[in-house]
Amino acid sequence: MYAYDPYDKEIVNTRVEEFRDQVNRRLSGELTEEEFRPLRLMNGLYLQLHAYMLRVAIPYGTLSSVQMRRLALIARKYDKGYGHFTTRQNIQYNWPKLVDTPDILLDLADVEMHAIQTSGNCIRNVTTDQFSGATADEIADPRPYAELIRQWSTFHPEFSFLPRKFKIAITGAPSDRAAVKWHDIGLVVRKNDAGDIGFEVLVGGGMGRTPVIAKTIRDFIPEADLLGYLEAILRVYNEQGRRDNKYKARIKILVEALGSDTFADLVEKEWQTTRHHPIDVPEAEIKRIEAFFAPPPLEVLPEQDPAVDELAANNFLFHAFLKNNVRPHKVPGHVNVTISLKPHGGIPGDATDAQMDLVADLADTYSLGEIRVSHEQNLILPHVARRDLPELYEALSRSGLGTANVGLISDIIACPGLDYCALANARSIPIAQNLAKRFDDITRLQDIGELKVKISGCINSCGHHHAGHIGILGVDRKGEEVYQLLLGGSGAEDASKAQILGPGFDENGIVDAVETVVAVYLGERQDGEKFLETYRRIGADPFKEAVYEAH
Amino acid sequence: MKRINLTGRALSDVALTVFDQSPEAAQELAGKNAPYGLILTTETAYSDLDPELIEKADLIAIDFPAFGDGRGFSLAVRLRKDFNFTGELRATGPVIPDQAQFLLRAGFDSVDTDDARAAAFQKAAGRFTAFYQTDYTGNTSVAHTRHGPSQRERKAS
Repeated sequence: MYAYDPYDKEIVNTRVEEFRDQVNRRLSGELTEEEFRPLRLMNGLYLQLHAYMLRVAIPYGTLSSVQMRRLALIARKYDKGYGHFTTRQNIQYNWPKLVDTPDILLDLADVEMHAIQTSGNCIRNVTTDQFSGATADEIADPRPYAELIRQWSTFHPEFSFLPRKFKIAITGAPSDRAAVKWHDIGLVVRKNDAGDIGFEVLVGGGMGRTPVIAKTIRDFIPEADLLGYLEAILRVYNEQGRRDNKYKARIKILVEALGSDTFADLVEKEWQTTRHHPIDVPEAEIKRIEAFFAPPPLEVLPEQDPAVDELAANNFLFHAFLKNNVRPHKVPGHVNVTISLKPHGGIPGDATDAQMDLVADLADTYSLGEIRVSHEQNLILPHVARRDLPELYEALSRSGLGTANVGLISDIIACPGLDYCALANARSIPIAQNLAKRFDDITRLQDIGELKVKISGCINSCGHHHAGHIGILGVDRKGEEVYQLLLGGSGAEDASKAQILGPGFDENGIVDAVETVVAVYLGERQDGEKFLETYRRIGADPFKEAVYEAH
Repeated sequence: MKRINLTGRALSDVALTVFDQSPEAAQELAGKNAPYGLILTTETAYSDLDPELIEKADLIAIDFPAFGDGRGFSLAVRLRKDFNFTGELRATGPVIPDQAQFLLRAGFDSVDTDDARAAAFQKAAGRFTAFYQTDYTGNTSVAHTRHGPSQRERKAS
């Protein structure tokens, strides 16, 4: 993992002092709420329905056990004993007091964490594949590049007041687990014929009220030119992105308006004028950062373990856990374990302080003290010896963390919705809970197989409904919560936009409608076909007929 | 109204002209033998600017219609980077003290602000002392300083 040097420490500590000064000026009345708003927003502090909400950055979703314990401590000390892991691999606290927020930042800085640029019209936390550095299918670990981008984008003198927020995602593997095509900039690590590392660059993806899948503007930008090229993209966007209408201010609108070829030409032209300047870092700096992410010293172990096999044969739930939550590691005999934060009836992405502490302890015992957060709002122990799985599973299930539903229909992404959020039109959490209750049988879940359900409580799409195999969008119709049903989206390398099936439903009707959709799939699927594959083969009509005939 | 000096250079006192980019205005300025200052808005596209007029200006003020209009930062960078503008660059309009260091680092020398905000501006302008980007005030990105003094000589892009 990356460790701060004195420069990083100084920058983050200075930020804490600056924010304390800003909060004091607000508390003393020197700043009005209107004047304070842009300042707190640059530090992830939102005023929500009931209280302030603080969003803490977890850069590229990587945490140490020490950091996780600190997140637990903050939940206990300043909040109501829990935190919410988000689709941007961050954590949100829902109940902090304004007066406490500088101390929270100080507690975070102590473990090399911060809330810098977790909101506001600036470059946000860079997200990536939760299995980075621990999966056999990647070309290179993308995290050193994510850290490079984190540093370059932090307090950037030119790009801190963009037309709108700006999100960058990077994947090191061809299998896209970071939804890069749904980001303002998506980066895919590539290797050219000479064996050099570089990046395919995509721009203009995004959700919200205008869902757009990003387009490739460059097939290969060499590693050494990455930051210079990003700087050229940001400069063109900062100058030409719309500022007259916040719903048309994202880069996707600019790229659509200009056409991606014209946009690419503008970027190329700008990049050519600056590429020999020292925006990019010396090679020694890339090496320095890479060294922090060197593969951990894992012993090669047998792929099979008799104790694991025996437990799997006798314990049905462990068998399901093994099948759904455990995936191979690049080192034989090791695995990545996904800890589901989607217990049936729970709130997707929420973890209590005790659960965070437990995960930290388990990471120390079984995963070299390392933890990841996925954009699907789960936690991952990335370096577990396969032979340790029975013990680990036992410890997890004792604490309500053993739900074996990863990738299945109840592993739902949901935004906080109207239960917390000031922007929401409808609740998301109860829909997720009711769906999980409806499909509350592991045999049935496994029979249905991979099915990604994503729920947003408003058009801003924090719950990624556009990218759901099944997407649900809550809207407000004359004071009533109405839920639209969308089908066929994907956030993976085969990204697609989900399409609205027809008229919306009330909160009970939407659960029935999802059940009907699943029934159509089960009836229509051919051997081994996943939901999305069946949908793409047969189209929306059979689903539409069944859902609206039954309704 | 107070003028904040961010860089410590001697500030210009030439009169400012709103530059409407018309050929007539350009010709008039070009014919002048006296120093001149220009007011540009954040709407100004750098590609419409006459390089010679810019380079010869003693002072350029970029007027921000709102503090969040970040085009002013890119325009400042363009003037320094693409037009080799070495005169005084001033920010006017409702910029806020907490932007002082961003303005400074994007190439601004001075800011016009309300008297009430002057002290906060001065304080904010010197708050950070380490930076992740090489900039126009001579600060070198820590990515370079980490790897030895030979890298310190590098200039901003």
